[in-house]
Amino acid sequence: MKETIKNTTLADRILFFFLIFLSIAGIFVSREALSQGSDVIVEVDGKPAYTLPLNVNKLLSVGGPYGPTLVEIEKGKVRIRESHCRNQICVREGWISRGVIVCLPNKLVIIVAGSSKYQKQGIDAITG
Amino acid sequence: MQLQDKHRIAILSAYALALHGFESLLPTPIPWLKLGLANIITLVALILYGFRTALMVTLIRVVLASIFIGTFLGPAFILSTGGGLASVVAMGLSIKYFKKFFGTVGISLIGALFHNIAQLSLAYYFFIQRIEAVLIISPVILLLGTLTGIVNGIISDILIKNLLKKNTEKIQNVLHKAP
Repeated sequence: MKETIKNTTLADRILFFFLIFLSIAGIFVSREALSQGSDVIVEVDGKPAYTLPLNVNKLLSVGGPYGPTLVEIEKGKVRIRESHCRNQICVREGWISRGVIVCLPNKLVIIVAGSSKYQKQGIDAITG
Repeated sequence: MQLQDKHRIAILSAYALALHGFESLLPTPIPWLKLGLANIITLVALILYGFRTALMVTLIRVVLASIFIGTFLGPAFILSTGGGLASVVAMGLSIKYFKKFFGTVGISLIGALFHNIAQLSLAYYFFIQRIEAVLIISPVILLLGTLTGIVNGIISDILIKNLLKKNTEKIQNVLHKAP
């Protein structure tokens, strides 16, 4: 066996390392492409109201107790552009490409997720 | 075709069939991981006895094994046939044109690579038809194929060397000079 490995030609070795490199690089590239969320899900009052693709630019107005909230999708990222709530935490969170933005006063939740990934998430706990 | 060739093809096909059957009994941790042990026989046939013998052995092995296992003309049969033919043709061509550069292990890697390429494209055209799914699975299959390809190549190389030592005059060798 040692002899066989020693007798491999240069082309053999180049081919081997090239294939290994290519496949490992491919695994990382495809994983990266997977983990980036592809959908924006807008929930109002705990119910999914809109599902939008992340790669299509859009400006969306969502109604709530404090008036309309502007949700902006651009270049694979999403933010709350304008909200009439008091503390403006949601606006300050800025652009996100994964994770969530919550605007509690407006009962608005914006989730960025691959559609199947989101469905697997459950509720951790409910408190009174 | 000479009588001696027929005997050779029959014996090699029997070996390949036995390895194929044995392999299908082994439990695999990942569904698409197959060792491709039968490829060892194809490679030995190709290097020692030439392209036509290897092609015959592969065809006989693929058809008979699918009949024995019960997948004849099913999806697994299509994938298995396509992969087997692609790998034989690729290995045959690379022996014909790049004999100087590649040794047994390299030829085995080429065979494994083309086996996987053929299977993935067939699976895409006939069964999956979603390019993202194929692209996500391809690198994993390529990695596993490369690893099993190198193991099979090493086994084939040892086998060929031992066969050459035993009967140097009977075999018309392509790659190796007799010791």
